[in-house]
Parts: sequence; structure tokens; C-alpha cells
Amino acid sequence: MSACGRSASVVKATALEILSEPVTLLVLLASLVLAVLAPAFHYHQFGEPTRMARDAGFSAVFTGGTVLAVFATIRSIRREIETGTIEMALSHPISRGMFFVAKACGAFAACIVFALTVFGVSLTSVAGAAVGGAIAERTGGIARIWGPCVAVGMAVIVLPLVAAAAANRLFRFRFVLASTVTAACAAVASASWAFSLDPAVLAPYFLAALPLVAFIAVFVSASAAFAVRFRANVAAVCSGVLFAAMVPFAGNYYLSDALSAGGSVSWIGAAVPFAAAIPAIAAFTLLGIGWTAERT
Amino acid sequence: MDSGKNIVELRNVSRTFRDFWLRPTVKAVDGLTLDVRPGEVFGLLGPNGSGKSTTIKMILGLLRPSGGEVSLFGLSPRSVEARRRLGYLPELSYLHPFLTARETLMYYAGLCGLGRSEARKRTSQLLEMVGLEEAASRVVAGFSKGMSRRVALAASLVGRPDLLVLDEPTSGLDPVSTKEVKTLIKALSAGGMTILMTSHLLADAEDVCDRVMILNHGKSVAEGRVADLGTSLEEFFLAKVGDIEHFRLAPFLSQES
Repeated sequence: MSACGRSASVVKATALEILSEPVTLLVLLASLVLAVLAPAFHYHQFGEPTRMARDAGFSAVFTGGTVLAVFATIRSIRREIETGTIEMALSHPISRGMFFVAKACGAFAACIVFALTVFGVSLTSVAGAAVGGAIAERTGGIARIWGPCVAVGMAVIVLPLVAAAAANRLFRFRFVLASTVTAACAAVASASWAFSLDPAVLAPYFLAALPLVAFIAVFVSASAAFAVRFRANVAAVCSGVLFAAMVPFAGNYYLSDALSAGGSVSWIGAAVPFAAAIPAIAAFTLLGIGWTAERT
Repeated sequence: MDSGKNIVELRNVSRTFRDFWLRPTVKAVDGLTLDVRPGEVFGLLGPNGSGKSTTIKMILGLLRPSGGEVSLFGLSPRSVEARRRLGYLPELSYLHPFLTARETLMYYAGLCGLGRSEARKRTSQLLEMVGLEEAASRVVAGFSKGMSRRVALAASLVGRPDLLVLDEPTSGLDPVSTKEVKTLIKALSAGGMTILMTSHLLADAEDVCDRVMILNHGKSVAEGRVADLGTSLEEFFLAKVGDIEHFRLAPFLSQES
């Protein structure tokens, strides 16, 4: 088996570890509630209910994704170092650099599951906002009446918890893991249902979300590097400082603007933030590999 | 197996730990030279703080020596090639608490490069060997110390290593499990595996080791074949490091009485 095959074992275990953490479920639920309820309870819609729903979704992915990326990555790597499991792993045929990269990839995979879930639910909310807006125009009511889709969104939050509780009781499945994975599947299913499974309509939304994924990837690589070098609290402060420095470059609103203006986002438009993120990811990864090799 | 060549070679190896300002704090290993030959069970013995675990970590490539040379299968211990043939059981059973016993072994099988079907087969075989088939689907966070030790022992064997490094292999095990581990070590050695172990339990070392080295203050104070000692290992050990006194019992006992 190749080095990549061996490191897949670390990627899988890290993703499993993060998705099994109660704090992951907590961040996920908070983000889902933000994505579903924020537009519904927002009084001033400015005649753009779908945009409000979209902004809430992007914000939930951005905020929750960053929090999860920082917290989960630091926790996972520090736990390896402080409990000594890293010694067991490094006595196997995997290089230190590859181990570091695999840990970061595992954390990123968990963040992708998170982002997919929140974004899927927010798309349901977007579709509901459009329906609600149309009803509001006809009836003269306020545009806060997309009740059915809020109900679907809330179901995506509540049903996985019930399903996970049952799976835990009956089959001893891990509760947090079962609920997270079920929520991800339910979110994608409900978003597909809300958009009538039309890829042409759905694709621009996913393209618009890609810059957020690049942003999360930067935080995963940075937090992983800091966690190798510093204790958890210092690493978290370093990531927080980085977050403060990067926020001005990560406004969600231009994503919504792009969707509102033309209804679509080009591949190039989505690729540019990725291209900008690559040097940062590469720099933090090299720093992390260097610090991992230096340990001992 | 590299017949005729030493599996592990340490030449005049030292390791000094330093603080944040790079000032030396403790010299854990001082000018140590040792060889582990193919197929033997080599015991690294010594009192607490004598440098056994530091030596093992340098052999595993987890610590860099401050001076001297370490080679594993003729290669640097930090090379992936050398570690392909290595199994390691640490003194404390470092296991991921969120994985089940089966997932733990699958994880290490993956790190050893075993394919999926082979890993499954090997995992089931080892779980049966350590008597944990019933608990295979339970997360190790809920395991007793002895059960965790058995999982860690199985994990060290998952890649069918040529060299097995056991740091206090019977630590935390009850007498029955201890006896079984010793039987296992003898069987693995009879099958051609080279074993390097540390132990505080001299009777255990005497039962399974072909050769021993006694460390004290990071230096080798004696080395030889167990069969050639002419006395029990415990007597030999105390003769070599008997000047050590961890406890100051006399004043305490006189006050108590």
C-alpha cells in the first residue's frame, strides 16, 4: 500500500474523532438554527427574503465552519501529542510530514460534512423564502411566512437527533456521529427536494459557497500548524488573531451579490478565492510539517 | 530477516534534555553502546529514571540522540523503511478513546499498509488471540487497564513485525495475563521474531530474555546472557545497582515506631 493509502487510515480516524465529538454536534445545531431561523425571524427583509435566507446560510457556514475548524483541529492534534497516541502512530511506517498532512485532511473532511449540512439546510430555507415572498406579495402579509420550509429545516435538525438516539439505543451506534451523518444526508435531500433536483439551479449556490470552503481550509491548516507547536490555548489565540486579520477579506455579501445580480457564479469567480487560499494553505502546511519534524 | 547483522545498533549514544532556553536539564543516556541480534529476546533493565524509555524512544526514532549513532535494520530509525518492520508496545497503552477495539486494530493495520481484507482478517485473528472478540465493538474509553493493554499488544503485532519493542509489556496485567504474555513472547521468539523489552519485574525478564543489559544513570553497568549469570537475575541486578535508594525509610520508620 502506498504512503497515501497508509495516511488514509489517519484521515478516516481524525474525521471520525471530530464527528464523534459532542462539541461538533453543538456547533452544528447552533449553525443550523442560525441558518433556518435567522431569516424567518428577521423583521426587515427589504423585499429580499431569499437574499436574507442566503446571507444567513453563508454566515452560518462561515462562522460555524471557522469555529469548528479551529476548535476541532487543535483538539485533535493536541490530544495526539498529550496522550501519546502520536508515538504509537509514528512508530509505524508513516513519515511525520505525512502524518501532519493526514491529520489536517481528516479535520478538513469533518468540516466539509459540517459545511454541506448547514448549506443544504440553508438552501431549503432559500427555497422557502422564495415561496414565502410570493405568497406575501399575493396576500399582502409580511415575508416571514415560509413556515413549511422552516418546518422542513427544523425537521432536519430534530429528526437526526431522534434517529441517532434510536440507533444508539438499538444498535449502540455512536450518537453524535449518527446524528451528524443523518443530518448531512437529510440536509442534502431536503435541499434537492426544495430545488426540484435541478442541478442547473443548484450549481450556482454551491459554486458561491466554494470560497467559504477555501477559507475553512486555511483555518484547518493554520490551526493544525499552531497545534503542533503550541499548547491548545496559545494555538487557539493564534488562530483567533488570524481570523481577525482575515475577516475583512471574507465578506459573505459579495457571494449573495453575485447570485442576486446574475443568478449565477462563474467557475472562475469561485476559483479565484481558492487560488488566493492555496499559498496560505501551503505556507501553513509547510510550517506544520517543519514543526512536526522538529518535535523531539 | 537480516541474519548475521544486528537488528538494532547503538554506538556511543547520548541524550541530553534541555529546557526552553536550551540549557541542559538532565542527561538521560550517556555514551550507551548496545546490539540486538536477530531472533533474540533482549532485556533492557534498570531502576526508574535509568534511561530505558529514552533509549527505546531513540531506537524508535521518536527522540533524536544528542550524540552517537542509532541504526535499525541498518537504517536510520526515522526512515519509513526501517519502521515498516517494527512493532511497538509503549509503557502506557496509548489508544484513541473514541475508537472501538476493532477500529483501533484496523487503524494500525492501515498504518502498516495492510489491504482492507487482509486487515480485517488480521484484526479478527489478533482480537481472538488477546481474548477481546466479545468487546471488539466497544469503544476503548470504557476498557479496563488490562483490556487496554491487550488491545495495545495486539496493535503492536498487527503488521507482523521483525522487531517487537515492548516497554513494560506486563504492566497493568493480572498474573494470568502476565503468564500468557510471557508465553506469547517465547512463542514469537521461537518463530524468529527479535524482541527488545524493558521490565521492572526481574522474574519476568529472567523467564523470557536471552540477553540483558542493566542501565543505571543512563549508562550500561552490565550486559550478558541470562544463562551465564550464575545467579538469579534479581541478585545480579541488586549487586550492580544496589546503591540506589528511592525511599528514605529509616528516619520515617524510627519516628513511626
